[in-house]
Amino acid sequence: MLAYTLRRLLLMIPTLLVISFVTFVIIQLPPGDYLTNQIAELRSQGDAAALEKVQFLRAEFGLDKPFLEQYAAWVGIWPTDHGFSGLLQGDWGWSFEYNLPVLDVVGDRLLMSFILNMTVILFTWAVSFPIGFYAATHQYSWGDHGLSFIGYLGLATPNFLLALVLMYFANVQFGLSIGGLMDPQYLDQPMSWPKFSSVLSHLWIPVIVIGTSGTAGMIRRLRANLLDELQKQYVVTARAKGMAQTRLLIKYPLRMALNPFIADIGNLLPSVISGSAIVSVVLSLQTEGPMLLDALQSQDQYLAGSFLMFMALLTVMGVFVSDLLLAALDPRIRLSGGAVQ
Amino acid sequence: MTTHTAGARSVPGSARLWLAAAVLALTASTGQAAPGVYLETPMLRDDVAAKKLPPVKNRLPDNPLVVPMDGKTLEPGQHGGTLNMLIGRARDVRMMVVYGYARLVGYDRNLVLMPDILQNIDAKDDRVFTMKLRPGHKWSDGQPFTSEDFRYFWEDVANNKELSPAGPPAALLVDGQPPKVEYLDKSTVRYTWTGPNPDFLPQMAAASPLLIYRPAHYLKRFHKKYSPKAVDAEKSEPGRRSWASIHNREDNMYQFDNPKLPTLQPWINTSSPPTDRFVSVRNPFFHRVDQAGRQLPYIDRVVMPVVDSKLIPAKTGAGESDLQARELNFNNYTFLKQAEKSNNYRTYLWRTAKGSHLALYPNLNAADPVWRQLFRDVRFRRALSMSIDRPQINQVLYFGLASESNNTVVPESPLFRKEYQTLWAKYDRKAANKLLDEIGLKRGSDGIRRLSDGRPLEIIVETAGESTEQTDVLELIRETWREAGIKLFSKPSQRDLLRNRVFSGEAMMSVFYGLDNGIPSADTAPDELAPKDQAQLEWPKFGQFYETAGKVGEAPDFPEAIELMKLWHDWHGASHDERAKIWHRMLSIHANQQFTIGVINNVMQPVVVTNALKNVPEKGLYNWDPGSLLGIYRPDTFWFTDARRN
Amino acid sequence: MGFYATRSRVKAYRVQRMTETQSTTTAPLEHYVNTAPFEPEAAEALTPEQEEFYRASQWRIMWWKFRRHRIAVIAAFVLALLYGSSLLTEFLAPYEVSSRDSSNIFAPPQSLHLFHDGKFVGPFVYGYNMKLNLEKMKREFTPDLDKVEPLRFFCRGDEYRFWNLFDADLHLVCPAEGGTFFLMGTDRLGRDMFSRIIYGTRISLTVGLIGIAVSFLIGITLGGISGYFGGWIDTMIQRLIEMVRSFPELPLWMALSAALPVTWSPILIYFGITVILGLLDWPGLARAVRSKFLALREEDFATAAVLMGAKPSRVIARHLLPSFTSHLIASLTLSIPSMILGETALSFLGLGLRPPITSWGVLLNEAQNINVVALYPWLMLPVLPVLVVVLAFNFLGDGLRDAADPYN
Repeated sequence: MLAYTLRRLLLMIPTLLVISFVTFVIIQLPPGDYLTNQIAELRSQGDAAALEKVQFLRAEFGLDKPFLEQYAAWVGIWPTDHGFSGLLQGDWGWSFEYNLPVLDVVGDRLLMSFILNMTVILFTWAVSFPIGFYAATHQYSWGDHGLSFIGYLGLATPNFLLALVLMYFANVQFGLSIGGLMDPQYLDQPMSWPKFSSVLSHLWIPVIVIGTSGTAGMIRRLRANLLDELQKQYVVTARAKGMAQTRLLIKYPLRMALNPFIADIGNLLPSVISGSAIVSVVLSLQTEGPMLLDALQSQDQYLAGSFLMFMALLTVMGVFVSDLLLAALDPRIRLSGGAVQ
Repeated sequence: MTTHTAGARSVPGSARLWLAAAVLALTASTGQAAPGVYLETPMLRDDVAAKKLPPVKNRLPDNPLVVPMDGKTLEPGQHGGTLNMLIGRARDVRMMVVYGYARLVGYDRNLVLMPDILQNIDAKDDRVFTMKLRPGHKWSDGQPFTSEDFRYFWEDVANNKELSPAGPPAALLVDGQPPKVEYLDKSTVRYTWTGPNPDFLPQMAAASPLLIYRPAHYLKRFHKKYSPKAVDAEKSEPGRRSWASIHNREDNMYQFDNPKLPTLQPWINTSSPPTDRFVSVRNPFFHRVDQAGRQLPYIDRVVMPVVDSKLIPAKTGAGESDLQARELNFNNYTFLKQAEKSNNYRTYLWRTAKGSHLALYPNLNAADPVWRQLFRDVRFRRALSMSIDRPQINQVLYFGLASESNNTVVPESPLFRKEYQTLWAKYDRKAANKLLDEIGLKRGSDGIRRLSDGRPLEIIVETAGESTEQTDVLELIRETWREAGIKLFSKPSQRDLLRNRVFSGEAMMSVFYGLDNGIPSADTAPDELAPKDQAQLEWPKFGQFYETAGKVGEAPDFPEAIELMKLWHDWHGASHDERAKIWHRMLSIHANQQFTIGVINNVMQPVVVTNALKNVPEKGLYNWDPGSLLGIYRPDTFWFTDARRN
Repeated sequence: MGFYATRSRVKAYRVQRMTETQSTTTAPLEHYVNTAPFEPEAAEALTPEQEEFYRASQWRIMWWKFRRHRIAVIAAFVLALLYGSSLLTEFLAPYEVSSRDSSNIFAPPQSLHLFHDGKFVGPFVYGYNMKLNLEKMKREFTPDLDKVEPLRFFCRGDEYRFWNLFDADLHLVCPAEGGTFFLMGTDRLGRDMFSRIIYGTRISLTVGLIGIAVSFLIGITLGGISGYFGGWIDTMIQRLIEMVRSFPELPLWMALSAALPVTWSPILIYFGITVILGLLDWPGLARAVRSKFLALREEDFATAAVLMGAKPSRVIARHLLPSFTSHLIASLTLSIPSMILGETALSFLGLGLRPPITSWGVLLNEAQNINVVALYPWLMLPVLPVLVVVLAFNFLGDGLRDAADPYN
């Protein structure tokens, strides 16, 4: 077990490195950079003073340096004028748009993202588990078809439209303030009970919207796996021996059926993170989605790069944890060194 | 919108200002209400009692600006309340500077320049500007506002090689020469140039103003010359490199995101970024009062939540904004009107004043020689203009409420003449076809005309891809142009990419907003009409030529462009009457030549005002410069009725 | 049958056995003698159905199994219909894609009727009465029960260019002369939504196909190599798969789309988008292929081929691949919906296709504002075809997957 863990940990490092490289390449692809975009905009607004400040930043942040050097400096393996200062040293870079270190800009949003994504995953589990269970044990019944259909509906509806419609109706029917993760007056205040309940009341829309797409897949997988297990020999034996149905179900097949649940965090996490990005943009949530989109479009490269890295890191960590759990559950995986499909 | 007083047009510019200032000074001193007696602001009473703040009499300058309120356009109000306004990006907190509109000189709601922060200003020949500050005027932290703040700016910021490597701002240079700046006493500053600088005052009254002063007492600690600690800070600050960039970061008067920086605006920002919610509280040392002796602003607090701009119409319709114009479009009006009653607000419609809400810019510097020659043929441009069915566009998109027009000044401007608006702008298919036939563009078998080298006449119009309105208008134009045998392809792009393509000559034609300032007066520099700016999409290379003093770009090579440049040069030294003549000549050249093809202007702008907010005019002009959006209507005079004054 | 049903069957059997054993007597046992001649192969003789079954090829069995899954069959039918319609788009749509009607802007949908005043008239719609409300800046439409506008079929209507090849004006259905037929209302320029949705079908449905092709190629190649050769090649490719999977999709789409040169023509951007979508989708397919290969290469027939001297490429292509083509098809079918949703999402964000190209995503983008939700909800109708297509593909994929293992 330890060897497996260590091996996986070590493998994460090159993974992250390659991801960071690809991310940086993609961000740099559009021509020009943040400052060239800004110059034109500032001129058209007649903001003369800012032009001079922009000249500064260009030289200061080495935006005139070659690509590889910029990349290496960002990661932290190449010195800038002021020593090593990059991701490896915990410096996430400077955001041009906000004129602040990236970490200051991003701070709270990462926490909110994390909360949102975790809630969605919990929601997905909580909903798909009983439905999958029911569907498998009552195969081909009306309940099976009906519930699966609803799950598919959730999968098929484009998130963003659903979000907008739900948001409007929540406002008209319940007086919920439009968009955001909480009522505006709590935006800058520290956590308190009213703030928490405000967050809860706003959270359900994005969670439902994002969660419904994931549940269909989960239900399908759980149902399929449970059905497979139910055909197996040991179930027939147990039944023949007179074991009570429910106890039988819980003790044996369910454990096996949990397998894909855990394994699927690896599949689920990337889709939840990206799903939540879009919905956050529509609903203007205080998560990383809207900020990322802005950063990508304005080429605020360190901000965008750091967000992408954060999301990739979340995903990689999530996959790692899921593989670990799976390995703990299923010795076959540990020993064969990789997930058995 | 009626403009300034009748006598104003015939009086020379400098004298006019002097007159206005004198009138103001007079009214201030005779006082329609005794300004010697001031009422304490309820919000600050506790602080005054605790000796944290001086009483109101000592917070105001010796001679505060008394805002006249006639009870009709402006009602005297009461202190109190919190104003909510939504912004679409954190950067927009600078709107507090735009709306607050405290300027050395500013426009009033009739677009007349008046001294505001300054007690008075004497502008001799537009060359020598003697500015008198209000003695006793203080910054928002209580420190005195004196000529030292002007000196600090001029000597230690504008002329400091590390802080301003490019030298003082271009607006302060005349023929490349800097002014002579004198500080006659603690409250008098004089700027002297060798030639006239007519832009000086309008630039200081702009939405994004030219600032010739700084809070010296605050910034000195970041300046190498005054504070040895500034140099040490280089090493300890993460990501910063030099004292100059730290100073630049602190020196952010317009950006308004530094709560520690003192300001002269009516409200002070108290939230440091990053934040999703900016709270600004009243400036206890603000220099304006009303006639009853209340120190302005009336409203205690302004809260600006940052939300996604696409959600702002929805949120406004849900009553989450007390005063909203930004990020609202005409096509939101129906929705906003519908939700009015249940959310306790009213929706006004103000007029915008761009020369044209959108205009087509044929690229006269196009790289392709055939296209370039065709675009330079005035008959072609006129035909394009006459093939646009403006009334239909007006009807379909704006309910007929906008004005069909060329890209020219709007009726609210004193320079307006009907023919500028209508010349070559009438929808006339026969005349357009005649012109096109005259040029020799024969129709092919598919009805599309052919260029001289046989290629079909397909114009690719590139847009910045930012507004569906532009796409819609192009769609409507496409149909009528097709009837004339011209094919239109619209290609969405991005603002910066669009500019680059136009500059390089690759883009044939682009779509963008028309004249920025549709309400100029004779004394406004006719910058937008002469080929002197690379950002002018119809002749970027001419503009580039001028800007780089001939190093890059192309010199204007046809008579009208050359004449426009000459007229622009002449305008600078001309008298007021001559200036008006020059403007009219330039406007008429543009109307005749159709260098830019305008479509529609005076588009209406919805302004949502919550029912409890007073003194917001029902009809107004919504323009960036001049106008400062809400600025000229002085939001510091807006006030809440009882219920909202907490 | 059901899990719980077995239980009652077992119970019944036990009861039957018990009652049987209780009724024996001492009389000679009843017995029965069959006089028919002895047929040693009787037990092995097949009924005609069984014979058919065993004789049938793999594909036939799969077809039979597929047919049992009724919803999948319906889904296949619906999809065939939709794809087929995209061949005849211009003919099927009542209006041309950009044809406008300035007097019917933001008109609500017109419902189809058959009976007017109790009399059968044939399919028709009621005309509009439009009132301009200048106070609210709203155009108010009410159906005018006196204006009966019967639809025409196989009629001459808006001119269009069929597949950009030739001009024609024959339509399947048109509005009455001088009338209107807005089954799904109109948009802000007075364009018919129903026609635009039909035109959008062509683009939206084919986006998925091209993306699938890209994903298919990469997935098969890498998965196949990885599964067949094993060893360090396998490990490398596995790591690559994990890396691509770890990328959060949407942000990567955003980034890649923002990187597409805006100077490209809309068609090129369209292809670019589909390639991008395909580039991020192949890991799932590769893993499936790989695990199948790992299993299959141990099979006897594969070993036999290798022993007979077949080169790896021949073994893969000729022997291994056909065994799980069905699985491949099933996986592919299940990936298409995510492509379609992906294009919709990208166009919504303004990063994918843009007007003047018409796709469902572009239409939904134009519907993405509060005006639509509050005042003109019919502009959100393009979500229906998206729903139908995604559901159809999912059911079809399920059916295919169930049928893919005929011998299971």
